[in-house]
Amino acid sequence: MQITVDIPTILRPLTNNQKRLEISAVDVREAIEQVEQQYPGVKERLVTDDQVHRFVNIYVNDDDIRFSHGLGTKLTTGDSVTILPAVAGG
Amino acid sequence: MKRLLTGCTFTKLSCAPHTTISNSVEYQAGALGINIAPEAISDQDDYCFEFKTPDTSPISSKIQGWADNSGYGATELLVQAASGLMSVHGRASGQAQALGLNYVSILASTLALQGALAAAIGQLRGLRVAHSQVSMAGAALLATGQYLAGATVSEAPEAILPGCTSPSDRPPFISADGIIFELETLSADPWLRFWSELGISSETAGKGWTGFLLRYAKAISPVPSIMVEKLAALEYQAIAKLCAATNVAICPVRSLDERMSDDDAAQMLEQGPWRYTSHSSSSSHVVPIKQVSNELPLSGLTVIESCRRIQGPLAGHLLALLGAEVIRLEPPGGDPLRGMPPMAGEVSARFDALNRLKTIVEINIKSTAGQREIKSLVEQADVFLHNWAPGKASALNLNDTDLARINPSLVYAYAGGWGADESGSNAHDALPGTDFIAQAHSGIAREIATASDTRGGSLFTVLDILGGVIAAQGVTAALLHRCMSNRGVRMDSSLLGAATLLSTDKLHQRDASSSNSINKSPIAAVYHTQQGALAVECRNQEEAVRMAEMLGLTWTQGDEAFPHQLQKALLAKTAAQWLEAFEQAAIPAAVVVEDLTEVQHNPHLQPELTTGAYTQVRSPWFFQ
Repeated sequence: MQITVDIPTILRPLTNNQKRLEISAVDVREAIEQVEQQYPGVKERLVTDDQVHRFVNIYVNDDDIRFSHGLGTKLTTGDSVTILPAVAGG
Repeated sequence: MKRLLTGCTFTKLSCAPHTTISNSVEYQAGALGINIAPEAISDQDDYCFEFKTPDTSPISSKIQGWADNSGYGATELLVQAASGLMSVHGRASGQAQALGLNYVSILASTLALQGALAAAIGQLRGLRVAHSQVSMAGAALLATGQYLAGATVSEAPEAILPGCTSPSDRPPFISADGIIFELETLSADPWLRFWSELGISSETAGKGWTGFLLRYAKAISPVPSIMVEKLAALEYQAIAKLCAATNVAICPVRSLDERMSDDDAAQMLEQGPWRYTSHSSSSSHVVPIKQVSNELPLSGLTVIESCRRIQGPLAGHLLALLGAEVIRLEPPGGDPLRGMPPMAGEVSARFDALNRLKTIVEINIKSTAGQREIKSLVEQADVFLHNWAPGKASALNLNDTDLARINPSLVYAYAGGWGADESGSNAHDALPGTDFIAQAHSGIAREIATASDTRGGSLFTVLDILGGVIAAQGVTAALLHRCMSNRGVRMDSSLLGAATLLSTDKLHQRDASSSNSINKSPIAAVYHTQQGALAVECRNQEEAVRMAEMLGLTWTQGDEAFPHQLQKALLAKTAAQWLEAFEQAAIPAAVVVEDLTEVQHNPHLQPELTTGAYTQVRSPWFFQ
């Protein structure tokens, strides 16, 4: 599935300042692996032991993957994956 | 311990025209143990007072309205309108509107007293400083600073306008038996479990979470209406039971009277928003006063800050603005908030607004090596400031006793939710200490709701901001105490303390017998114009009569038809055109800012702002 991944500013030093990557993946887990293959170091900033870090939010289109199937959330052609560092609270 | 600043003297020099400010500064000074001398009123337009320690010459302090020297009339209502506070509050309350609290006045009062205390520290350290000054405008901009940062970055700025979300499809919620309540959780899993139990789909719960997660940052929290409806069909006890089962916190939106009946309320009201305790090691430790010249009052002092989000980082930021070197402890890899959009270059604009002056040290505070490193930093520091969860300091062997053993002259500060960093016996001790829960529990949310015609409080972080200012002020008072007594102390402040400080103003208003009751302006409201809204406040009858004449109307006290006539007349021109006319006639008014990028163009605010990668708010203090 051809999809896009929007890279947050904080990870752009790892992606040669690429803001948006076009890759092929069937789910979010594979999308992260694909990005990691091209730009090593990204995965460890997002995932440990197959769990998304607490302060990292990943959206497929506008939907938070924590409320879908996590890293197993399926992707279809044209989907947009967005990574958003955020902390709840106030 | 006895009151912190016994032996110091406060003298009011002028109170016109800000009664709330006058009441609040005096209340705070009295709570710190400062002797309130008989008034020595002089003929000045701004609120002024004099502060003196036994070893310093008098420091004159002034609170002016706007940030420029135009002398144009400024009031709580007008400053909230022009600074963008109404706009931020209006994002989730339906329209740009006032908070319904004398928020800016109390913020300015706190900053003014802090400025005077800092100036005294400066004098004791060899600085030639005899005058400190703040403005209501500067205080308000400090409150909107993070939102202003987000709205003014060049890349993908936030453009969140008043009324952009439904005022009913947001927290707080209402139950079938009519109880309004807040929910709180800091992670997605409990939120998902809670809503799943109610039959809400994961996808819908996720949409609600997206807004809820960032409500403190964006001042909006849209949730799908089905979620609101689902809770409205259940009784409060059933919802509370479900919360307990899914680890979601719940708190009713209480009245101020309910809060005042709590066991700890009277004491908090009497002691002020800070609590000071002597370090348990009572050995006297002579602290050589670090001298300073031609700098700021706290230059050369070191603050170690381990804080997240808003309240604690703002406190550290204010101490940095007073000259302190602030060393901010962040976890390995840095604070995740550094990367939270919108970005100003490499860093989150919102984060930078509160942390740009600090030196960052990455430390794993959970490791033995990390704790050793912190203790090593503390040896040479003057202040240690944290906002960890209750009990964490003791678990990490980094409580006040641990650190005072290393550095007996240390000011150990905790800027928390409820005023104690160990679990206590109060009902609120079990609640998460976030702004919105504190607003609900303290009665402040109810006050805002009544004024705003909404269910609950503001999604503008009312208490985080005031709490941060109080924490910095409390640290400054503790540093002055240390200069005078050679002793370090522990200072606890909290969001609940901030709410209590805001409530003292309301209590003054309710106390009809008080000679300090708030003077009501004959006209104070927001009006529609041909384009945009205009806040107008006539502070006395003379101004009301003059305004009416300017508009071809007649004003008499108690004329119920006048507000309608005024509204009709103001529809003839735009808000900007009216402002020009009102300014020429010296009748106080302000355009109600909707788009925050307009704030930086207001000449009455510009002295407090610097434009760059985003619009930064400058130090609220001016020393001379």
